[in-house]
Amino acid sequence: MISTTVRGASKPWLLLLPLVLFLSAFFLVPLVQVAMMSVTEPEPGFGNYAHLAEDALYLQVFLNTFLTALGVAVCCLLLGYPLAYLMAQSSPRVAALLMLLVTMSFWTSFLVRTYAWMVLLGNNGPVTALLALLGWDPAPHLLFTRFSSTLAMVHILIPYMVMSLYSVMKRIDPALLRAAESLGAKPWSVFRQVYLPLSAPGMVNGATLVFMICLGFYVTPVLLGSPQEQMVAGLIGTQIEEFLDFGQASAMAMVLLASTLVVLTVYHRRFGLDRLWG
Amino acid sequence: MSKDIDKSGDKTGDEPAAQGWSRRSVMKVAAGAMGALAMPAVVRSAQAAEVLYVNTWGGTWEKAAVKHLFEPFTKETGVEIRTVSPVSFAKLAAQVRTGVYEFDVTTLGGGDIVRANAAKIIDPLAGSPLASAGLWKDAVFENGVASHAFSTVIAYRTDRLPKGGPQNWADFWNRQEFPGTRCLQRYCARVLPLALLADGVPQNKLYPLDTERAFRALERIKPDLRVWWTQGQQSQQLLRDGEVDMIGIWHSRALELIDQGHPVGISWTQAEIDRAYWVVSKDSPRREIAWKFIQSAVQPERLAGFCREALYGPLNPAAFEFIPKEESDRMPTGPRNYPLAFEQNVKDFGGNLQKVTQRFEQWLAS
Repeated sequence: MISTTVRGASKPWLLLLPLVLFLSAFFLVPLVQVAMMSVTEPEPGFGNYAHLAEDALYLQVFLNTFLTALGVAVCCLLLGYPLAYLMAQSSPRVAALLMLLVTMSFWTSFLVRTYAWMVLLGNNGPVTALLALLGWDPAPHLLFTRFSSTLAMVHILIPYMVMSLYSVMKRIDPALLRAAESLGAKPWSVFRQVYLPLSAPGMVNGATLVFMICLGFYVTPVLLGSPQEQMVAGLIGTQIEEFLDFGQASAMAMVLLASTLVVLTVYHRRFGLDRLWG
Repeated sequence: MSKDIDKSGDKTGDEPAAQGWSRRSVMKVAAGAMGALAMPAVVRSAQAAEVLYVNTWGGTWEKAAVKHLFEPFTKETGVEIRTVSPVSFAKLAAQVRTGVYEFDVTTLGGGDIVRANAAKIIDPLAGSPLASAGLWKDAVFENGVASHAFSTVIAYRTDRLPKGGPQNWADFWNRQEFPGTRCLQRYCARVLPLALLADGVPQNKLYPLDTERAFRALERIKPDLRVWWTQGQQSQQLLRDGEVDMIGIWHSRALELIDQGHPVGISWTQAEIDRAYWVVSKDSPRREIAWKFIQSAVQPERLAGFCREALYGPLNPAAFEFIPKEESDRMPTGPRNYPLAFEQNVKDFGGNLQKVTQRFEQWLAS
């Protein structure tokens, strides 16, 4: 009896214990604290949430955050799909090489990649120089615009999209495509009527992942974006650093968390959470 | 027999002795090794009361502080100083809330010290060793001790403005005369007075601020304000890389660029002074030492050394005795520049700073 308990052979869930303890201590407890702060500071009640609903700034920033996340997800999909398709069609060696290229940007820190964009898109940077050379005069300001922050976020998030797509595309049976061809479908029809629907789960997975991660982006929009297009995480930072308003910041964090959970719930209902990571 | 016994006794006495010796030597080695491991801990606990944690701005600031303020203090008192960066007002508030002290001493700016004092997160000066120390006039403010100052000055790219850059804030606001991109710090309390000066409000009538008028004035240059800086480093990079043509920037950052040979000009007229005050984190377990450190850090000679190296202006007037003229001309509180500059009235700001800041953020995002 004792030995089986000690070995834990009959209780495999014991293996989860370290992770559960870790998450409780460093994630759940602080999260509950944040939730508490949002309804207790500066005074008990839902004043912070009411304020969020009333203030035009918050609504605007939340709306902007969602639109930006949506835009980034769509851009990632448009750019990532052809790449994932190419990888799925290539020989394993080429696919591995392409995958390496995609994941390579994972090895560089967020901040470095963000600063790299600052150098590239700056007034004295190569992109501006190229545009000026092509006769665009005066060359446009690229930095500190919605364009620059979206570009950088797409760059950072596209690996998630490519991996989601690739893992689904890899499993599409080529026999189905050949069958469609042999039944007389033109290449475009094969793609549209067979391949695209079969790869749809990857598109949904990737878009959901990118969208959710993007909702909480902080550094990139703060450093590259325009002051007119703030995102929620940046505003939460301002609330704490500038106003010491822990209550308001907590309420905003809870709303952000709730929005993410809503997205996840919708996804779960439609597709099942277990499929999110391919 | 007895000899034998003695001998054997000697022997047996020897052997264990030898063994004991070897055992002792082993133990000595072991003790030594353990000592090597344990010593720092012992020293640390013995000196637990003799360590002071100072919150610093890192970089040049910390380098200058270590050399001119921390090391002399350690030499004098034996108190070791450990530094924690970066300076965070939020952390100061959080550590009083949680009771976990990451630092005992920090510096706060004028606006922050009023906030901190009101929030009771800094230690009251009354009852501290410094209360009767006899500091200079105006040294103490809101339970902080004035140390050094920096100023927000106008700096510009001389290559983009070859005929000369803006010399005062009215020039900075003049888009016809001085076309180009502009940048200011994303810090409402510092920006609104500049907008009012630009709009023609006399320096001595700035406070309490007419916020409505300030926002109207800001609106005039909004199209040229493509970016707002939040970090000193960032402001420097924006000017160095030519991302902006004119900027309201801390004087030290602009001087560094000029010293590095970048095409940058600076105007000391209407420089906006920001004072830094040493404060002690409320209820810190090392508050006594903390106050003693502060007393030593504002001594004229040490403060002069710190300010010369970190490009600040000392607030203890006696410090200028240790500063040559060509250097005091690069300081906002120096005899040449101080009459050109203006001080902020952090206590009579004109309205609720938080509300105004919120409006400022809203205005930025719109």
